[in-house]
Amino acid sequence: MSSLTTLVKLLFKTWFRRKASIFFGIAFPIMLLLVFGSIFGGPSPPNYRLYVRNLDVDQNGNPMPLSDAFVKALNGSVFEIIPLKPGEPTPKSTGFAAVRILTIPKGFTDSVLNMTMANLVNIMQDTILRLVQMAGEQIPEEMRANIAASMQQINMFKQSIKAERKTLILEGSPDDRVLQPIEGIINIIASKFETALLNASSTMEIKLVYSEARQLRLVDYYVPGYIAAFIMANGLIGVSSLVSDFNRRGVVKLLASTPIPKSYWIVSLVVVQTFAALLLTAVMFAVGWVVFRMTTIPDIFSLMVVLLGTLAFTGLVVLIGGVVREAEAVTALGNMLSFPMMFLSGAFWPLEIMPKFLQEAAKYIPLYYFHAALRETLLTGSVSTALAPSLVLLAMAAVGMSLAVFTTRWRDF
Amino acid sequence: MVASPVIVAENLTKKYGDYTAVDNVSFKVYEGEVFAMLGPNGAGKTTTVEMLECLRTPTSGDAHVKGLSIRNNSDVKQIKKIIGVLPQEFNAVDNLTVFENVQLAAAAKGAKDFKQILENLGLWEYRRRLFSKLSGGLKRRVGLAMALVGEPEIVFLDEPTTGLDPEARRETWLYIKRLKSLGTTTVLTTHYMEEAETLSDRVAIIVKGRIAAEGKVRELVAKHGGRTKLVFEGLDEKVLASLRSKGFEAEQTQEGRTIVRISNDSEIVEVLSNLRAMSIEVYPEIRQAGLEDVFLSVIGSRLSEEGFLA
Repeated sequence: MSSLTTLVKLLFKTWFRRKASIFFGIAFPIMLLLVFGSIFGGPSPPNYRLYVRNLDVDQNGNPMPLSDAFVKALNGSVFEIIPLKPGEPTPKSTGFAAVRILTIPKGFTDSVLNMTMANLVNIMQDTILRLVQMAGEQIPEEMRANIAASMQQINMFKQSIKAERKTLILEGSPDDRVLQPIEGIINIIASKFETALLNASSTMEIKLVYSEARQLRLVDYYVPGYIAAFIMANGLIGVSSLVSDFNRRGVVKLLASTPIPKSYWIVSLVVVQTFAALLLTAVMFAVGWVVFRMTTIPDIFSLMVVLLGTLAFTGLVVLIGGVVREAEAVTALGNMLSFPMMFLSGAFWPLEIMPKFLQEAAKYIPLYYFHAALRETLLTGSVSTALAPSLVLLAMAAVGMSLAVFTTRWRDF
Repeated sequence: MVASPVIVAENLTKKYGDYTAVDNVSFKVYEGEVFAMLGPNGAGKTTTVEMLECLRTPTSGDAHVKGLSIRNNSDVKQIKKIIGVLPQEFNAVDNLTVFENVQLAAAAKGAKDFKQILENLGLWEYRRRLFSKLSGGLKRRVGLAMALVGEPEIVFLDEPTTGLDPEARRETWLYIKRLKSLGTTTVLTTHYMEEAETLSDRVAIIVKGRIAAEGKVRELVAKHGGRTKLVFEGLDEKVLASLRSKGFEAEQTQEGRTIVRISNDSEIVEVLSNLRAMSIEVYPEIRQAGLEDVFLSVIGSRLSEEGFLA
């Protein structure tokens, strides 16, 4: 067995026997995939919690019929309705559960009935006037006088209706970014409710059509990001801790005093990281397929992207190890670089939900190009769209590895 | 027959900015000998051996290992084939077994068979045990095995017993002695007087990057160590004055002991006769001069167990 093969085999053994390597390299990514996949990757639509304080009650405290029906209409949509009694205090926000309260005012049922009646009368008057206008001179003079008299009576009836619009109050935190979409959903439900009361039907409808034949789900979107993020983390944290440990123990010094060239040391680290990256990719996909019935299948191009990402980030950490002399500082720097990259590059969640300046900043983060290339190849299966980020990754890998070879010291540590 | 030098260091100097770690050091190491570099922490011992191990480039000067220059890149490759190195504070990889750690060094040196070295160092029975599960002594033996695998002609052992308990230290000495008996040239750095005295054929005392004294241990002791000492417990000032009046060089230590320096064995009888004449029947401890005395004489201070000048 050649020196290089033995070195690779032994480095892989030491990587594999490190509890931290297995946890951060395989177990932790799987845990994240299971947790986030279950939260965002399932088939059920989002479910928003909405507190409803219904003040529209009768003398016995029972909800009036229309307010009750409106609450039931809300409950049948994307909301999980939690009723609040009229005197019950406003619940406090706990953790990340935002508190949103919809207050239905007293007199809601009467108001809706009156407003509906007024609307019906308006519609009726409008209809008669349009018909009279359309018929024109064909309507005899006597009939025209009768219609005018009837319209006067209808007007008198309309004035007797107490058509007072009631305001429903939606209360929530200004930090709640879902509050406005929720207001929109309630408005839509209210409109449908009103249309039903008028005994009318919608004049338009929306039909949902999937633009692609492939049934991609959020979990398909997350997996490439997680794979990229953890290959990066394994490179920056895993390799840096291994290199600094070997330095601290004098093992690198011992190796450097032997005829083995430093290129063998760097190649061994890269090969071990590549094994680890491929293992992580395989395990993540296996979990995705089995647990989440994921449909994405990695092709040869996506595996090439994995390889490029591994080279880029292993090169980066070997470069750091070459430039920074203190073994502990290498690990610290590895940690310092990897965590912001994980959260700011869009690997864990879509960039679109982040503020504009962070979206721009993400484009200067190396990890962005790794997960972008991997997502493009895996989600769209398109080499052409993955080409640009892949080329950036290739450049990073080439520069990183060249600088790593140049800066790694095999003498004068 | 005079052995030929396998290492010749000529005016080796290593500077880090304004700090001079090794200052114009020259010495020779002969084939088959154990050459010790003795000195306090920070004296420049490790920097010196690391230059010989081709791990550091000298700022000026040169050294030849078996005729090969440590400054010449093509020579360096050849030097690395014939040396074995145990770095300072070396610890093998915790989660590799004894066998795998030695295999790592063997692979790096291109050595195929290393069973013999494991057997010689009594490690064969521990070969499947993880390095992290070994005692301090066994760990150091693994380090020795990693340095010795591939049968190097010259071995550099940098502070091989630092941090070991006395038992493990003596155990390591046995293996270094065995190495010497096999004819391997060994360069040893240490701050333990006893270690240098017990193991080495020749010693170089290094302080502040310079060699303060160099030679065979006995020669150094004879030259710088001073006379044999008789150490008495419980003699009073009156007795001390009496001995001085008889021409003996006597002094009292802070601990209350009386030390009488003698030039030859017959003076022992003379001192004891004089004491008997004063009705004092005591038996002194006889202390031969050693490296400690040499160190004290050359440097002017003692070397503590932790490696600092006291």
